[in-house]
Amino acid sequence: MALPVSAAAPAAPQRPVSARHFVRLKLRVMGNNFRGQGWRIALFIGGALVGLWFAASGFFLFAAPGLTGDGRYAVLVAAAGGGLLVLGWLLLPLVFFGVDETLDPARFALLPLSRRTLVTGLFAAALVSVPVLAVLVASFGLVLTAWGLGGWSAGLVAVVGVAGGLLLCVAASRAVTSAFATMLRSRRVRDLAAVLLAVTAALLGPLQVFGLAALREADWTRLTGVATVIGWTPFGAPWTAGIDVAQGRVWTAPVKLLITAAAIGALLVWWSRSLESAMVGAVSAGRAPARRGVTGGAVGQLFPRLAGWARRDRFGALVAREARYWWRDARRRANLITIAVVGIFVPVMINLGGAGFAVEDERGLTTGAGDSSPVLVTLSMLFVGVLASVTLANQFGFDGSAYAANVVAGVPGRVELRARMTAFSLYVLPMLAIVAVVLSVVLGRPGWIGLTAGSLAATYGAGLAVNSFVSVLGAYSLPETSNPFAMNSGAGIAKGLLTLLSMITSAVVAVPMVVAAALLGDAWLWLALPVGVAYGLGAALLGAYLAGDVLDRRQPELLATVTPRR
Amino acid sequence: MTVEHPALALRGLAKRFDGTIAVAGVDLDVPAGSFYGLLGPNGAGKTTTLSMAVGLLRPDAGSAWVLGHDVWQDPLTAKRLLGVMPDGVRLFDRLTGAELLAYHGLLRGMDPAVVDQRAAELLDVLALGDAGRTLVVDYSAGMKKKIGLACALLHGPRLLVLDEPFEAVDPVSAALIRDILTRYAAGGGTVVFSSHVMEVVERLCSHVAILAGGTIKRVGTLSEVRGERSLEQVFVEVVGGRTATGEELSWLSR
Repeated sequence: MALPVSAAAPAAPQRPVSARHFVRLKLRVMGNNFRGQGWRIALFIGGALVGLWFAASGFFLFAAPGLTGDGRYAVLVAAAGGGLLVLGWLLLPLVFFGVDETLDPARFALLPLSRRTLVTGLFAAALVSVPVLAVLVASFGLVLTAWGLGGWSAGLVAVVGVAGGLLLCVAASRAVTSAFATMLRSRRVRDLAAVLLAVTAALLGPLQVFGLAALREADWTRLTGVATVIGWTPFGAPWTAGIDVAQGRVWTAPVKLLITAAAIGALLVWWSRSLESAMVGAVSAGRAPARRGVTGGAVGQLFPRLAGWARRDRFGALVAREARYWWRDARRRANLITIAVVGIFVPVMINLGGAGFAVEDERGLTTGAGDSSPVLVTLSMLFVGVLASVTLANQFGFDGSAYAANVVAGVPGRVELRARMTAFSLYVLPMLAIVAVVLSVVLGRPGWIGLTAGSLAATYGAGLAVNSFVSVLGAYSLPETSNPFAMNSGAGIAKGLLTLLSMITSAVVAVPMVVAAALLGDAWLWLALPVGVAYGLGAALLGAYLAGDVLDRRQPELLATVTPRR
Repeated sequence: MTVEHPALALRGLAKRFDGTIAVAGVDLDVPAGSFYGLLGPNGAGKTTTLSMAVGLLRPDAGSAWVLGHDVWQDPLTAKRLLGVMPDGVRLFDRLTGAELLAYHGLLRGMDPAVVDQRAAELLDVLALGDAGRTLVVDYSAGMKKKIGLACALLHGPRLLVLDEPFEAVDPVSAALIRDILTRYAAGGGTVVFSSHVMEVVERLCSHVAILAGGTIKRVGTLSEVRGERSLEQVFVEVVGGRTATGEELSWLSR
């Protein structure tokens, strides 16, 4: 029985949907998330305070040239600071924090909204967040500077510029994460995504060396020259427009604002393209290509070659399943890629920062490591080990409600945690080994392999132990979207704080390695490897033993916390 | 194993979420060898009750026994006797059907050779063998139900607890699932399942309990509960739904 109404053309909407509706929807969703959850409110306030603190320090940095009345470095501060802001918005979501997907685009797929309405609406909703507010406060320092140096007209231009810069930041972070999510979702191009991330990070290296070199020479005029160039790119244009007016280059302001607007427009177009695929693709996310024919029994199929050595028992099954998941789950794979990229580049940057100058001083490359020391190397290894292990801080959150299978089967907590550590290490330990070798070779100190590898093993093991506890006690649910960078609202701050807490604790547990490196001198170069491996292994096993006990007592509670609320 | 113990016994199970009471004291005895249907409208607390009965959700009060073993005091023994298919819970769906079965089997401490043999049989019977290397995440809804059932059956449990096994399943798959469950019950196993499809419950169950608003409203054998009327009539009466619409939706037939 067909209803007559279906034949008629749908009436034009009485009230068009505008960005205002999206903003209100987001506020409502955020508010409902807090309902009856005191600790979430506390976390939110805590996060807001941290944001405010960063905002205040940023504000004074930006306002310094204006407050002191010294205009020489105004362009430098604006271009460099603003450029770093944009860069941060671009890269940090990919590497650490993820984007807040309170309003998941896929949920709007069935509504009769034009793409334009959707993008502007989601964009407006994205502007409602603590980080945006923090950046707004900080960048107001620029307005103050422009106003102090050039009067109200310059200040007015600065207001427009800063607003544009803020829009640029948000648009960039949305466009890039959305595009990456699309790429990672499709299994065919996932390797391309890895390469792209690697290249981006690789570009950071030379930039850093260059920046440090410039700082060291204290050639401020040269730096200002660089800043002027940056000021003409979208990275610096919005932030420097007001300063330019203040310093008499009035004609540049409209051009720079135009550059900003064009960049925002291009980013939004890019975003809307990938948004469409995110909305439609969510249904058939990553259909597997036809795989090889079935060979062997079910058990043989479960175990990947990587975990082929494991016994065919409960522990082995857990390891095999986890090993498969680290590769097949886009969210986990994104984490592995991050470890690989950051793990290689950060230590090289830290330790080679000095070598860069050595070359410039024409002392030759062999003495390049003169600036690096066992303590510095150990510290950078500490960072990598901690970063690698913190990936497991929410290891049960990756599983979501699927963890119910393990609860029903009554898997002992110790076996569970040991198996998860083992499976993750199957991927991470080879990476860490490569980091250790590459770093000592790049530094021109092959004899330091023991030192780098030992420190890595110790911090990684200590981190595994700490994160066993964090993952059992501080788990939270991840949204069930296909975007590997998506985060639940509210969980964003919780995640940040937890990650920070677990990283600090892991670092503290690993501090004995740094102390030993500082005190023991050359003997440590040989002792570091055996001691570090023993320390890391012992810490990891002890962590699994103790945290496993906790897990046994709160399996159902853990399941409830990692199950997404619908 | 004595026959005196009921397959599943619930006493005073209660749970509240954020101030709303989901389940307000459920008592239930499921006799061994019975085919037990747990009926209720949406939001009646079926899933919450079953989750507490199998150890997935800690009750605020009350306890549950599986064949005489307390689920919350002695979980390992109780869980060994249990096969569970939860609803609204993901499987480890980035595995293929065969891999998922192998995982569940080994997790239950089964011998690998037995796992291989039973997994092959189950995949064959449930017509999932053709899926080959397709990941469970790419399965259709009916296939997901079937592989979930296979996971629950694999270790040969004495008690099978299924949450909405017939939801979103096409008639062909539903017939197959019914067939398997009947065979399992005939072999001495006990089945408890929740549903709101009256026809299925009437055709399969020996016992029925109607749950509404977090408490048991009617309980007993199918004929006791149903009496002279159809199960649907009893259900609607107990739950107190409205059947006819008045003037409100007039625009629907404009």
